[in-house]
Amino acid sequence: MIKARLTLFRLSAATMPYLGSEDTVRELRRALCNPNVQSDQLRYRNAILKVIRAMSQGVDVSGLFSEMVKACATVDIVQKKLVYVFLCSYATLNPELSLLVINTLRKDCQDPNPMVRSLALRNMTNLRLPSLVEYVEQPLTAGLKDRAASVRRVAVLGWAKLHNLQTNSEIDAAVVNELYSLLRDPDPVVMVNCLRALEEILKEEGGVAINKPITHHLLNRLKECDIWGQCEVLRTLQRYRPQSEDELFDILSLLDASLVSPHPPVMAATLSLFLSLCPGVPAVSQAALERVRGPLLATCGSVSREMRFTALCHIQLLLRSLPGLMGAHYKRFFCGYAEPAYIKQRKMQVLVELVNDDNVAMLLDELRGYCTDVNTDTAQAAISALVSSCVILCGLGAGHIGRSYSDRCLEILIGLLGLKQEHITSAVVQTMRDLVWVCPQCSDTVCLAVEGCEETLQDGQGRQALLWLLGVYGERVSSAPYTLEVFIDGVRCEASLGVKMELLTASMRLFLCRPAEMQDMLGRLLHYCIEEETDICVRDQALLYYRLLHCGIEETRKVLQGRRSDPSLGVLIGRPAEPISQWACSFNTLEPLRQGAMETESASRGSPEHVTFDPKRNNDPSDTLNCGHDEEALHSGSDSAIVRTDSTADVLGSSLTVPLSLSVSPALSPEEFELLWLQPQVLHTEQGPEKMKADKDCVCVEEHVRCPEILHCSPQSLQAAMQLVNIQTLAFTPPHALPLRVYLYTHTQRARVAVTPHSTLILGELLYTGEGNQKVGQVDGGVVVVEGREDEQMKEGEQATADGLSGRDTGRTDREQDGVKVTLKQHPRDENALKGFLSILTTVLHTLSSESD
Amino acid sequence: MSASAIFVLDLKGKVLICRNYKGDVDMAEIDHFMPLLMQHEEEGLVCPVMSHGKVHFMWIKHSNLYLVATTNKNSNASLVYSFLYKLVEVFTEYFKELEEESIQDNFVVVYELLDELMDFGFPQTTDSKILQEYITQEGTKLEVAKSKVPTTVTNAVSWRSEGIKYKKNEVFIDVIESINVLVNANGSVMSSDIVGSIKLKTMLSGMPELRLGLNDRVLFALTGRDKGKTVVMEDVKFHQCVRLSRFDSDRTISFIPPDGESELMSYRINTHVKPLIWIESVIEKFSHSRVEIMVKAKGQFKKQSVANNVEVRVPVPSDADSPKFKTSTGNAKYVPEKNMVVWTIKSFPGGKEFLMRAHFGLPSVENEELEGKPPITVKFEIPYFTVSGIQVRYMKIIEKSGYQALPWVRYITQSGDYQLRTNV
Repeated sequence: MIKARLTLFRLSAATMPYLGSEDTVRELRRALCNPNVQSDQLRYRNAILKVIRAMSQGVDVSGLFSEMVKACATVDIVQKKLVYVFLCSYATLNPELSLLVINTLRKDCQDPNPMVRSLALRNMTNLRLPSLVEYVEQPLTAGLKDRAASVRRVAVLGWAKLHNLQTNSEIDAAVVNELYSLLRDPDPVVMVNCLRALEEILKEEGGVAINKPITHHLLNRLKECDIWGQCEVLRTLQRYRPQSEDELFDILSLLDASLVSPHPPVMAATLSLFLSLCPGVPAVSQAALERVRGPLLATCGSVSREMRFTALCHIQLLLRSLPGLMGAHYKRFFCGYAEPAYIKQRKMQVLVELVNDDNVAMLLDELRGYCTDVNTDTAQAAISALVSSCVILCGLGAGHIGRSYSDRCLEILIGLLGLKQEHITSAVVQTMRDLVWVCPQCSDTVCLAVEGCEETLQDGQGRQALLWLLGVYGERVSSAPYTLEVFIDGVRCEASLGVKMELLTASMRLFLCRPAEMQDMLGRLLHYCIEEETDICVRDQALLYYRLLHCGIEETRKVLQGRRSDPSLGVLIGRPAEPISQWACSFNTLEPLRQGAMETESASRGSPEHVTFDPKRNNDPSDTLNCGHDEEALHSGSDSAIVRTDSTADVLGSSLTVPLSLSVSPALSPEEFELLWLQPQVLHTEQGPEKMKADKDCVCVEEHVRCPEILHCSPQSLQAAMQLVNIQTLAFTPPHALPLRVYLYTHTQRARVAVTPHSTLILGELLYTGEGNQKVGQVDGGVVVVEGREDEQMKEGEQATADGLSGRDTGRTDREQDGVKVTLKQHPRDENALKGFLSILTTVLHTLSSESD
Repeated sequence: MSASAIFVLDLKGKVLICRNYKGDVDMAEIDHFMPLLMQHEEEGLVCPVMSHGKVHFMWIKHSNLYLVATTNKNSNASLVYSFLYKLVEVFTEYFKELEEESIQDNFVVVYELLDELMDFGFPQTTDSKILQEYITQEGTKLEVAKSKVPTTVTNAVSWRSEGIKYKKNEVFIDVIESINVLVNANGSVMSSDIVGSIKLKTMLSGMPELRLGLNDRVLFALTGRDKGKTVVMEDVKFHQCVRLSRFDSDRTISFIPPDGESELMSYRINTHVKPLIWIESVIEKFSHSRVEIMVKAKGQFKKQSVANNVEVRVPVPSDADSPKFKTSTGNAKYVPEKNMVVWTIKSFPGGKEFLMRAHFGLPSVENEELEGKPPITVKFEIPYFTVSGIQVRYMKIIEKSGYQALPWVRYITQSGDYQLRTNV
């Protein structure tokens, strides 16, 4: 019978799409208003069902509000529920009409049936209308004293909703007291709801007061609660500070059973509580971590992928402090064939952390198996994981074991090249480039391996990596000139800008060590790039090299032959274990899951000279950058020889204390930028050189960056330089126009410091206002942007032109005052990150200006 | 916890049903979900948590549905996922199958359930047994304001109602163990464990007290008995009805059972298990011409036991053609859409060894694409036998009316995640 009616229903629903939504509403209204329908309860309810179905299907049925209000006065409880669903969805659109419902709802609150009472109470608070607050308070107060627990549950949360509706209005102290006393309610859900409500209502005061009696009461009743309740209680108790050591240990032993609870959320919440209860007793935290190992590993084998993923992310956190925690259980992190890529990648990251003398052979074999995964990203991640473990093994020192296994690692990588698969070869070449940067001792093997792999390389990233290797280690790769010749012959059809730039640099470098073989083709390449190339960056670069060659071979060598490797980065491997407090507060939240997501977000990567290689953390291609190492980052760029670091030790010194990484993804469109930039900002420009005006989640800063020398660089080179440190330039004013402006943005991420906000967006404007910036009362002489050709002219000594152009006469006289006005906006506010960003920006500007000296 | 809203979407990302619990996240944000998911899929980096601005989506997929929770807080991820899975569990108990169709057909009940399961972003009543007492599909039947108060909502024994009556009082106990094995290409066992569960089907009147006795090693050590085989269980999980305090103090499993079917407990045993069905395989691939497969299966369990419905699934290259098989028992079938050969053996006695040979042709033009190396997987079921040796020693049933009840016990061992990697 029911079935039949449902089918009937589905049919009528199916016919609806033929009517326009207006027709549908009209049809429904006719049905609802029909007295015959109204008198027949079954038909009336069916009419209402149709309305709700239309609503679920996205039809705007808000026009039926008044008809539906009438329908809520009924004894049929299902009909009531349906009408309430409707009313709660549309109440905010019809605040006046909603007033009519309140009477019915209030009457229902007196109903002898507790189900009706709780239903009415819940929906009263779900209407979310501030205007109705005064009518809701009385039934809510009564609800707190209701004899049915189900009504009390609803009433308690009702107060939280009410508070949420008007956060600024004070909730009656009597209610707060009542809620505190309901913590002793016999019903555990009422108790937990009270905690939740008080947390919400007393947010300003730091949440519900957690004193000794409350704590002990909650702990004693923990067992009665369901897992949701237990997690809530455990989380709230994190604020408690035991008064004595005895008390602390009593609590801990009481919680021991929850620590190994089979329910992962309870286990995690308990661990979190342990960590916050005894930050001063590392032995206890350590013991707790070891105790949860079993349950955590069990969760890693959970049926639910999402739970597995969550557990893996949290294990990664734990490993930061106790690297040896999972050592013996490395097999539990072997990937299953059918597991999704995000789990496999996490497992590999964990596996790399677990490499040690005993398991290395097995681990390397396992990782090798993943390298041929069908999912290209997983394969690439596996290859990076292999290289990371290789780096770790190199780092383990000159020890025989480390040495022989790093050879084994390379052997596997070379074996992979033999597969002649595009994406694998590309990933291998890229990781080899990173490898020689960190472990120069591997370079001999790598040089042998890269020969001949240009045939399988198709993508820009891979070819760029190959070119870099050929340029830097060209004298040891016998076929290097021939490989380059193929590239040079094909440069006309080359689409990738990066490859062209890299090709230029590589050819130059190779020319320095093998001039006889290279001279002719280098000439051809430079000729093509200067005469025919349309891209300004490539042209500029070629011109630069051309002039450089004019200065003599020694000069060229000085500029081009930078460092080949940076073994000091290998030091990162032996990084000491972090204190638990570093991550304790982000444990059991969303953050650990998202952190990894950001690291894996982008798959693009430049030469190792530009990106610090942090094998412990960035196992996957990442474009985040640690500013602590921006000296390396800026060091003698291969695709932009314009950037060179000068001694900015003080700046770096200060930024080192703020571990911060910048990232250009997610990308911001110019429209979005404009929108964010133009949001109302209050800036008091008269207050001095540095001033801040902070909203609750956004901050604006103005600063003057002193540039010791005026910047003569093309917008392109500025852009390139910024990109090296992961700052994206978005717009420039046209050359020669005054004032000159540059707009830029970046995302900061505070590496490893688990404080919120951990990730912020910074928008910035560089401004040079031209002759005498009256407002600030000093002369700004800094030019951020001068068009590229200007640059050349100046080099030829025609500085006067530029002087006239930018009004530098005054600036010259008072060089200390030269400044680019930097205006920054940050969402959300995080001053340390902002400082870190400023120091990076300053370094870049200084570098650029000193370069053009 | 704080989930702001819960959405159920179809595969195209269209909202089937949603519920706004907190009102602090714009409901229109869900429109970003599908594009985000597609973008991540394209990049090969699908992740169970995705963010758009300040809004985070935590999602799971079940049959042809996405269940999505939105939040703008740094909320407890594992709790949110647990809740989403709880939703699936509750809906499945109501509608048998949770899929687009069943949501469409039962949207009234879904609305009612969503209302009870969570309030203001906090889970409330999530036990489906309790929910079923006051939210029923028969609710669609016209019934003037059911005045019966669900006692269980406030009952001390929240999982069982009073006044249940059966003519014949019986309990059926199923002990089911699944074996997970991962074997390397060179034949060494990489990892193995047993996941066991004890399921009950209770048909008992009144409020009976049950006590279950197992050959638990810890219990035997406690009581000083030391005879016969005992089992060490790890990660023991109980149904909420089991008195954990008693288990913790003296390892007694005592409880008032829920009516009907339920899972009483689950456990994991992390020992080195000998793979019950051992597979040796030789797969030779002759490029451009053929693939030769030889698979030997050996039953490494007691001679008295028999494995039923054994399926050995052997991967073959996707471009293979013209299959030929020869088996010493059972039959082999080529399943081209899954690129595998399925060798089925209806009954496989312990200690026996069987052989299957397969021959496939390969096209002369080689497939350029790199293929993964899927493992050989095995499915089987061995009744009247548990690998761990766990035994139900007794089940005591006490009810105040003093009726006699019969416990029935059944043991099954089956394959779980049973993988043997191959060389090709």
